[in-house]
Amino acid sequence: MASISLKNIFKIFEDGTTAVNDFSLEIEDKEFIILVGPSGCGKSTTLRMIAGLESISKGELMIGDRVVNNVAPKDRDIAMVFQSYALYPHMSVYKNMAFGLELRKLPKAEIDARVREAARILDIEHLLKRKPRALSGGQRQRVALGRAMVRSPAVFLLDEPLSNLDAKLRTTMRTEIKKLHKRLGTTFIYVTHDQTEAMTMADRIVVMKDGVIQQVDTPQRLYDKPFNMFVAGFIGSPQMNFLDALVSVRNSQIYLVLSQNEINVTGVFGLDERLLSYADKYVKVGIRPEDITNDEDFVKKNADKLITAKVEVNEMMGSETYLYLDYAGEKITARVQNARAETDLSVLAVKTDKIHLFDPNTTINIFI
Amino acid sequence: MNSSSKAFSKAVLYAVLAVASAVFLAPILIVVINSFKGKLYISDEPFSLPDGETFAGLENYTSGIEKTEFISAFGWSLFITVFSVLAIVIFTSMTAWYIVRVKNFFTKALYFIFIFSMIVPFQMVMFTMTKTAAELSLDTPWGIILIYLGFGAGLAVFMFCGFLKSVPLEIEEAAMIDGCNPLQTFFMVVFPILRPTAITVAILNAMWIWNDYLLPYLLIGSEYKTIPIAVQYLRGGYGSVDMGALMAMLVLSIVPIIIFYLFCQKYIIKGIVAGAVKG
Repeated sequence: MASISLKNIFKIFEDGTTAVNDFSLEIEDKEFIILVGPSGCGKSTTLRMIAGLESISKGELMIGDRVVNNVAPKDRDIAMVFQSYALYPHMSVYKNMAFGLELRKLPKAEIDARVREAARILDIEHLLKRKPRALSGGQRQRVALGRAMVRSPAVFLLDEPLSNLDAKLRTTMRTEIKKLHKRLGTTFIYVTHDQTEAMTMADRIVVMKDGVIQQVDTPQRLYDKPFNMFVAGFIGSPQMNFLDALVSVRNSQIYLVLSQNEINVTGVFGLDERLLSYADKYVKVGIRPEDITNDEDFVKKNADKLITAKVEVNEMMGSETYLYLDYAGEKITARVQNARAETDLSVLAVKTDKIHLFDPNTTINIFI
Repeated sequence: MNSSSKAFSKAVLYAVLAVASAVFLAPILIVVINSFKGKLYISDEPFSLPDGETFAGLENYTSGIEKTEFISAFGWSLFITVFSVLAIVIFTSMTAWYIVRVKNFFTKALYFIFIFSMIVPFQMVMFTMTKTAAELSLDTPWGIILIYLGFGAGLAVFMFCGFLKSVPLEIEEAAMIDGCNPLQTFFMVVFPILRPTAITVAILNAMWIWNDYLLPYLLIGSEYKTIPIAVQYLRGGYGSVDMGALMAMLVLSIVPIIIFYLFCQKYIIKGIVAGAVKG
């Protein structure tokens, strides 16, 4: 039983800055939650408050069914993996993993069994006698995970654990951590600034900005139904394109008037009241790069959904091509499957069923 | 041409270094050689090796040990040095840990007071300090340890602070989560990481305290004689000095500190570099 409940949590530092602002979240037992956001958004501070390394200025934190606001870190039944791994440099790998158990005065035989079991799972049995300085980054990462594992904690806290690894190793460790979560059946709270990590690993993602939760949802729903422009722009790579458009209603048809083209969106949204309330007003149109296509068939069939843009850079990725376009002075990106070299002026079609519309003032998705 | 000029400059460098090391080693060598000569020959032929006539065997040593009560002086020197160094290493490393980890006005002020104490020369405070110490009944071998702690603290805190700044806080946080209380965190995690600096601090202070003459002379010299004071008593009245015994006692007093240095010297460089580069 290790559900976690954060109720109206605030972190206000001595100098008056509010790092975490009214953070409320219910985390279920065995859930894999990822806090994601740009640096300085308060995600690490939130994690550190859960760990007990940072005091809670206001609000209530519950692990299981007890309030732990004033409980010491060691008594919260948590384990933490740090970005720098924070291994004890003077101890061997074995001792690093056994240290927490020794402090808890567990019998030697049990400590040994637990350390060896964790080492077996993480494939670091052959490293047990080494000191951390004799290990590679990936191996240190495993030891840090092992040190957390042996404690069999109710909650695993991971603070950007992969950011010091190279790209290839990061991908491998991503899968490993996901597997580990399944195997251990423990609640995981993971902090990262990398949206790819968040999308690939999480059961639910918490997107934060300036200490405030922007949206909490499953990766797929965050992608499909972003609550505001920040979430829409943060999740997905390359980033979503935002264009200004005037909503124009003529002959029972709704058009989005862009700077050079008009797109008919009646087929997608119908005469939705929420959209009609923006008639003759501007909205922000969010189009993901993969929803702009140069597929010839699609372009031919959708003459009322075209945009004409100048190709500035053509980036071949192998399986797909990124087109960096200039659309009447605005920079947009398209991710097309067709690898033919697009040059100069290109006619592309927008998959209107995938576009998002945001209020330009509140930046909130107008359909939410 | 190029390689030969390189070889030449290398040869010059070696020659200079050889002369320098001879200059540094000569006094020790002269003391050792003369400690085996009869006392009458020392002034006559200070640089010659002992031969059949001048060789005195261990006589200088036995007479010196007897005259200076060397065993007792050695005991007091050892007692004061060991416990002063232990006190300096343990207390100043803890203080530095507090100064580096707790950042407020008080710790900042404390740090600058420690730094300032390094630039106050001992001679400036010695009379007032010894008088005050005597009034506080600190004029004992136990009391002098406290005073050495005070004089040694400045440099030691400075060095520990420099090193501690490079120790990631996350290691201590990991220890907290693992179940350490602050004392356990310090002794089981932080102090072992500080080891190179601790050894450097220990060596520097051991050499200074072992060889110190002025403070023990002013404070406890009449009752408890440390080696430098005891050796001084070999100077008799009217300028007569028992040179043989003096040389022998000097040899005995420098041997322990040289052994200590040889054991730990590789850490001196390590400790100073670690503090300096990452501080």
